[in-house]
Parts: sequence; C-alpha cells; structure tokens
Amino acid sequence: MRAYYRFPLLFLLPSLAGFLAFNLGPILASLFLSFIQYDGLRPLTWRTFQENWVGLENYRRLLEDPVFHKAFFNTLFYVAVAVPLEIVLALLLALGLNRPWPGVRLLRTLYLLPTVTSVVAVGLLWRWVLNPTVGPVNLFLRWVGERLVGLFTLLGLEAPGWAVWLAQEGPGWLSDPAWAMWGVILASVWAGVGLRMLIFLAGLQNINKEYLEAASLDGANTFQRFFYVVLPLLTPTVFLNTLLAMIGGFQVFGLVYTMTGGGPVDATNVLMLYLYRKAFGTFPFEMGYASAIAWVLFLVLFALTYLQWTLRRRWVVEEA
Amino acid sequence: MKLLGKLWDTLVYLLLLAGGLTMLVPFFWMVSTSLKAPGAVFDLPVEVWPKELHLENYQKVLTSVPFGRWYLNSLVVALGLTFLNLTSGAMGGYAFARFRFRGQGALFLLFLATLMIPVHVLIIPLFILMRNLGWVDTYYALILPGLFDAFAIFLMRQHFLHLPKELEEAAIVDGASPWQVYWKVALPLAAPALATLGTFTFLAGWNSFLWPLIVTNSLEMRTLTVGLAVFQGQFSTEWTVLMAGLTLGTIPPILVFLLAQRYFIQGLTLGSLKG
Repeated sequence: MRAYYRFPLLFLLPSLAGFLAFNLGPILASLFLSFIQYDGLRPLTWRTFQENWVGLENYRRLLEDPVFHKAFFNTLFYVAVAVPLEIVLALLLALGLNRPWPGVRLLRTLYLLPTVTSVVAVGLLWRWVLNPTVGPVNLFLRWVGERLVGLFTLLGLEAPGWAVWLAQEGPGWLSDPAWAMWGVILASVWAGVGLRMLIFLAGLQNINKEYLEAASLDGANTFQRFFYVVLPLLTPTVFLNTLLAMIGGFQVFGLVYTMTGGGPVDATNVLMLYLYRKAFGTFPFEMGYASAIAWVLFLVLFALTYLQWTLRRRWVVEEA
Repeated sequence: MKLLGKLWDTLVYLLLLAGGLTMLVPFFWMVSTSLKAPGAVFDLPVEVWPKELHLENYQKVLTSVPFGRWYLNSLVVALGLTFLNLTSGAMGGYAFARFRFRGQGALFLLFLATLMIPVHVLIIPLFILMRNLGWVDTYYALILPGLFDAFAIFLMRQHFLHLPKELEEAAIVDGASPWQVYWKVALPLAAPALATLGTFTFLAGWNSFLWPLIVTNSLEMRTLTVGLAVFQGQFSTEWTVLMAGLTLGTIPPILVFLLAQRYFIQGLTLGSLKG
C-alpha cells in the first residue's frame, strides 16, 4: 500500500485545475472588481485595475440607489414569504406521503415533476397559467366567486364587493404591481415544494422506530407522538431544509426573468436580476458596480447563515 | 373513535390527491394549449381539451426559430457537462478516499467551502475570463466551467470510502499501478454512484439558464432554455406555439427523471442528510 501515500496529482489534476481557474481565481477577481469602475470593454489587466480604482465608491453608490433598495426589499420579501410557505407545505406533504396509501409512489413522483422542469419552462408556463382572462387559476377563482355571490343571493343578502370582484375579474396577477410578486411566489412554491418534501421524507424515514414504539407504550396518542417525538427528531432536517431554501431564494433569477422581467415598475425586480442587468444588460456595462451588488448579497447571505447556525443550538435537537 | 380516524384518513388522502392534481394541471394546460388553434386560446368558455388537434404549432416552433439547433446545443451541453463532471468528480473523489497526503484535510475543506459561495459572485469574472480566452459563444464556455464541482467530489468520495478495499489491494499485490487499480477495479464498482451523479448533472445541465444566458449571444449558440426565454417576445401573441416549444423542451428532463428516479432521489437525500 506504500504507493498510496504520495500526492495523487494525476487524480486531482482535473478538479484542481478547474478549482483554480473557474473558482478560486474568479472569487478573488470578483472582490477586486468591486473596487473599480469597469465597463467590460478593455482587457482586464493590472493597469486597468490601477487606472479605474474607485475604492468603496461602488458600495457608497449602492446605499443611495433607489432601484437597489427596491430590489433588496423585494428579494427579502420573496424569501420571507416563499420559504416559510414552502417549508410548512412540504412538511405537511411529507407527513402525508410517508404512509402506505394506494399509489403513494406515483403521488410522490407527481410532486417531483416540477423539480426536474427548468425554471424557464416553469416561469413561461406560469405566465400562461396566471393569465387573468383564460388562465386556469383565475377561471377557478371566478368559479369560486360566482358560487359565493350565489350563496349571498340565496340568503337574501347583498353580495359584498370583493365577492363580485372575484366572480367578475379576479387578480390581474403579473400585470398588476400589487399582485405580481404574489404570482412569482405562487409559481415558485409550486415548483419548489416537491424537493423540500423529498428531503423531509428522507428525514422522516431516518427516524428510529423504537422511539415511536416507546412513546406508544407510554400511552402517547398520534398528536403527542408527533409533537414530542417526530418533530424534535426532525429538527435537524427542518434546519437544513430551511437553510437551503433560503440560500436558493436569495438567488432567484430565472423565474422572475421569464415571468415578469422584474416589472411592472420594478415590483418584482430582485437583486440577481438587477446585478445581471448592470453587468450584462444594457450598455454601458457596470461590471464593477454589479460585483459590489454580488458581494453585498453574499455578505447578507453569510450573515443570515451564520445567524441560523448560532440559533441552531436553541431549537435543533441533537440525538444523543 | 375508529370512525373519526377513518374520516380523517380519507380527508388526508383526498387532500394529497388534490395536491397531486395541482402539480399536474399546469403541465396539462401546457400540452392542451400547444394543441389548440392559435385563436382558440382566448375563447370563452375555455376548451379544457382542444376539440381538434393543431399540430402546426409544433411545425411552427421548429421553423420560426432555430429550435432544432437549440435542442442539439442543450444536449451537447448536458452530455458534455455530465462526462466532465463524472470524470473529474470520480478521479477527485478517489484521490480523497484512497490516498493519504499532506494537506489533504485542508484541501478537502477548501473544496467544500466553494459550495458556500453563491454563483453570482463568480459569473462576472468568469465571463471576463471566457472573453479573454475568446471562448464566449462557444461550447468551451458552456461546458468547461463544470470541470470542478465540489458536490461531485464529495459524493464520489463517500462512495469509494464505503467500498471494501480488498479487491483493490489484491490488484496492487498483482503489480497494478494506482491508475490501473482505479480504472479496472474501483471505477466499475462505482457504477451506482456514477448513475446518481450523471442523472443529476444531466438534469442540471439541461435546465441551466443563467450561465448560458450570459455566455452565448448568437442565435445558433443559444441553448433551449435561453432561446425560449429570450425569444418569448416573438411568440407573445402566439401562446400555442410557445407552449409547443415548452412541451418539447420539458420531455427530455422528465423522461430522464422517470427512468432514473431511484438514482435522482438517492443523490438528493445523500446530499441533504448527515451521512
């Protein structure tokens, strides 16, 4: 076995080369980029760095940029609404799908279909599904509205305005600034819930059955078993799942790009989309400024991840 | 009490079925729209399933944009990425699982740390690098950045660690070089892990959007996702044609997923649980 103790250069060559050229190098370059003003036209040399050095100017500009503020707020809003929704729904689904129903395997597969569909397809498809006049979502809402109005009439009451509105129009979704972000969130939860469900399912199937049997012997009912045994043992999975969903949520891009393009009037503009437009969208490109956006986003993500790790001890149950 | 339990179970089951249907309805809407006459989509009351099938939508999407070329590009990119990822991931994973060398732990941690770096920090300098190399708008730019993937190395390392060493040791005693041991003994035994990683990478490659969007600019170098997203404006009035394109584009990943579901699920849960 002595041959095995040398540095396995041959085996590590491809990944090391890729790591240096496409990972470590760009990360360092990105940090430098955020301190210069760079339109992406001239070759990027050491001289370019020296001549276009602006120090913290990019970061200072971010603080005063109203579009950045809007995109920042939108991203936070998206994560704060979509992630909890997805996690709670996925947990309920996993609990339901963890039982031997007829056709349960097929059901699990159904929930996973959007997971393997590209975000572009999901986005374009949902633009169509949310079409205010003929999309299935509004067709359904109008149907519900009509029933409600009918119910009020039957009871001899005046139907309230919102019921009439629901029966006749329904939300304008992606064309209405008040509804657009909700439309994106709806599509995003639909597309993401299956993956989260699968991770919960794996966590549930990892739970040691002896604990549940012991609880039953002690006379615990279904609800007690869930709240005192299953949920505590599932906390590590809840933690990881939430963390992953959050990290993914902050990087939302494809869905917004295809569904709304950030509109109407920046109502759904998010950080990643703003970064993309600044760096590659319209001339003059501002790659230095966009890099500053990238690092602010990274720092926010890092801070939130760190916060979650520190809070972890308070609620995540570690098996002895 | 028994009756209540029965009722509760029935309710839960119905809810799960309703949820499953909710997952299907948009896909159903996509296919049904793709088969309607261009004007029929705004007919009220809405046709749930088209009365007459209009296959010309499919013909139109194939002829009005270079759809076939985009399809081919997506296939080349997905397969290229898969090949690259399996090769470098398996080699790297083997190095960490079977060799002992100075700085091994530090290097592995460094590799894993890249998983914490979000993609948006990388894309701008990576694009500049590709431009300096003259690779923008070529397959090189679309595929080569997949040369390093910490997840692939991690997954393959796990697998090799779980392999019994005896077969490899026997080969060493017979005088085989480390490369021969890897190639002839260890790698064939890693087939399940390779299938998991391959399924994963293929799907991720086929569905990738941000990087191909940035690094291609000519009509014929677009991948399918980028082509459809960028040219959706062309179909803005023709939902039926766009849905035909989406239907064609969604078939491959769903097919791969259905065929390799076991591997896909294994890979997901392996990455998410403390192994």
